[in-house]
Amino acid sequence: MPQAFDVQNPPFDRLSHDEISTLRAAIDIGYFPPGDTIIATGQRSESLHVVIKGRVEERDGDTIESGLGPKDTFDARSLVHGPAATSFVAAEETLCYLLPKAVVLDLIAKNPGFAAFFYSEISRKLRSYDRRDREGVDSALRAHVRDVRYHAAIFVDGATSLHDAGQLMQDRNNNTLFVRDGERVGIVTGANLAKAFVLDRKPLEAPVREVSHFEVASIGADDFVFAAVIAMTRHNKRRLAVRSDGEYVGVLEDIDILGLVAGNPQLIPGQIEQARAPAELKSCALDIQSQVERLHRQGARVEVIAEITSDLNRRLFAKLFDMIAPPSIRQHGCLLVMGSEGRGEQTVRTDQDNGLLLAHPVPEADLQAFRDAFTNALESFGFPPCPGDVMVRNPRWSQPIDDFLKQVEGWVRASDQEGPMNLGIFFDAVSVTGHHELLDRAKTTMVEMMRGETAHLARFARAIDLFAGASASVLTSIMASVGVGSDEIDVKKAGTFPIVHGVRTLAIDQGIREVSTARRIEVLAEAGLFGADLGRELTSALGYFMEIRLRSQLAAMATGRRDRESIVKVGELTTRDRDLLRDALRVVKRFREIVRNRYHLSVF
Amino acid sequence: MGTEILRRSRALFDRMLLADNAYAFLFKPDDSDEVVSLDCETSGFNILADDVISIAAIKIRGNRILTSETFRALVRPGAAMDVSAIKVHQLREADVKMGRTIREVLPEFLHFIGGRPLIGYWVSFDVRMLNKYLYSMLNIHLPNRQIDVSQLYYDRKYSKAPPGTEIDLRYAAIADDLNLSMLPQHDAFNDALTAAQMYVILKDLQRRGARIPRQRATPRSGDFSV
Repeated sequence: MPQAFDVQNPPFDRLSHDEISTLRAAIDIGYFPPGDTIIATGQRSESLHVVIKGRVEERDGDTIESGLGPKDTFDARSLVHGPAATSFVAAEETLCYLLPKAVVLDLIAKNPGFAAFFYSEISRKLRSYDRRDREGVDSALRAHVRDVRYHAAIFVDGATSLHDAGQLMQDRNNNTLFVRDGERVGIVTGANLAKAFVLDRKPLEAPVREVSHFEVASIGADDFVFAAVIAMTRHNKRRLAVRSDGEYVGVLEDIDILGLVAGNPQLIPGQIEQARAPAELKSCALDIQSQVERLHRQGARVEVIAEITSDLNRRLFAKLFDMIAPPSIRQHGCLLVMGSEGRGEQTVRTDQDNGLLLAHPVPEADLQAFRDAFTNALESFGFPPCPGDVMVRNPRWSQPIDDFLKQVEGWVRASDQEGPMNLGIFFDAVSVTGHHELLDRAKTTMVEMMRGETAHLARFARAIDLFAGASASVLTSIMASVGVGSDEIDVKKAGTFPIVHGVRTLAIDQGIREVSTARRIEVLAEAGLFGADLGRELTSALGYFMEIRLRSQLAAMATGRRDRESIVKVGELTTRDRDLLRDALRVVKRFREIVRNRYHLSVF
Repeated sequence: MGTEILRRSRALFDRMLLADNAYAFLFKPDDSDEVVSLDCETSGFNILADDVISIAAIKIRGNRILTSETFRALVRPGAAMDVSAIKVHQLREADVKMGRTIREVLPEFLHFIGGRPLIGYWVSFDVRMLNKYLYSMLNIHLPNRQIDVSQLYYDRKYSKAPPGTEIDLRYAAIADDLNLSMLPQHDAFNDALTAAQMYVILKDLQRRGARIPRQRATPRSGDFSV
């Protein structure tokens, strides 16, 4: 009964004290020399193995599916579900705990939490795990007041009329004004005004000083947020004046603190509406981005975060378009977002994929000015430029629809790699504002060009193998093929892309006009292109890839290394995440095979 | 080879002197294909004066360490415990007071090991320690073959080493070379388990004819020769 057996290691952390004692008493330790087959394909395993030291490779024929190291568990499948589909071979001298099958099966029957680990479907596994490691409210409370988005201070003179004060509050969307009255400075709020009219029946012309209060509760901009919370409680106030260098610089409301902790995306559309110049949209853009982290911390599912984010981004784009597009373009144009932005699957901004379709040619000077202004504005908001130059700035992506369709036809026929990538990005387009029917027409034409044309579809589908090496050898040393280290995996290339692109191909094939990958999968499953089971697995796997990518993106932002945003270091994942990642990559592999077979990609 | 002949002849002799025939099984040829990893903690390092205070034994079948079939016992010592030894294994007199006498423990232990070969790190010390009691009880010595992991390690690493090679057979050195993370040491069970892991790995290296590479002797700073 090895005391050293780590019961904190999932899934064993789910066992009760008594169950652990039962398990410990039954554990043996096995030694496997290098090259030794621990579980052969088609064999049923008699024990669950937990690696103590050494390395084990999971092999499918000659391909190495995955590598397992200390604390990894195998093979839940062949223990519970039947003969092993893959073999497990010791890659070096390996010691494993051997947990007898009878004992494990007994624990599965008794303990549902433990049993979840052995589900065969990643979708069920994900549902059963509460995977969130919450950072809690603590970190938010230890932020500085200066980091909270409080309202900037607006000063009025004490002699200002109540009416003018109310109008100013309305115009500036700020419910609190600072009132200068000689030497003193006070505060007046919307509630004070209301009370003045309703209860005290003051005339509209009365000076605002009569309803202001001059005992101002305040907090320093460099104080901690928790100090602000304490001050609000002590003074029984819902807002505090913010001081910096002896001046009042703003007002901090309780709702602002709530936003810091919980995220409050519902406030952003209002801010976007209120903005009157592109520069004012910048703070909205920053807010949208900071929501991502807060919503993630709050425990929102990544699909939901992506949906909220893309909805807000689209409002922002539409507003910006209204601000800077000249009448000629507003009259004839349709603004598009494409790629992941179009599918609504982007969380942290990685690039801007946008374009413009025009019903008729417009004056070249108008168009050129708009191209530069729009792209530059987004860049100044912190949207990184698209590496593939899929942006309004690029004339290729902002032109009259007839010219654009000629371009599309060129992509359909071209034999280079760029064609399929551009078509893919465009097929994911949604219109943000303007003439939606232009996009409809362009997409219909594109789908008609490709549907039923096996050669075109196959050429398009082929891109699914772009990074094929990445998943065949996941977690092992062949990762060099995608330019990352041996225990690193690029989840975008190995996971997200093959699913998105495969689904996209089938959607064109079937003429499906849904845009989000999850919806496309549903429709494809209904149409019978694959089973509902695989459909569910694909959606779960995609969600899981997005989730771990978001985590590494947030980490990359914190460390300022954006080039690493989709790289996950396998060694830093928990056992449970490694297990889920393996399962998700298996789903990718299965799906890739379906696509390869359908378009006979093996002949290329 | 000489020691093996000596062991066998002494076993023959002991078989004749065996006081209680219920223990004749100790002398039967072993057909279990198993070995037993053994470790004792003692109250000190003087075989005559000191006592065994705990015994742990784990069976090994082929490449499988049967941690599910183990023998563990705490022994109440006759003699007072040596302070220096308490520091080593951290079992105080108060802890071993819970134990049973060696006269109760030994029969169970003998049935557990049977005729299986015994392995361990410096296993001859443990065996001599146990022989002290066995001789007074049954008039015999443990007839089991002994396999020392430090000997197996020596064969894999230092046999045919050029003269003058610095030889390091410390427990920590072996664990380090075999990449074994050390369990908290000086607990009889942990030590027996670590020895068992060393044994299966070293036996496998032996089977495959693989050797443990020797570092070229480069004196490190801080090292000095005596």
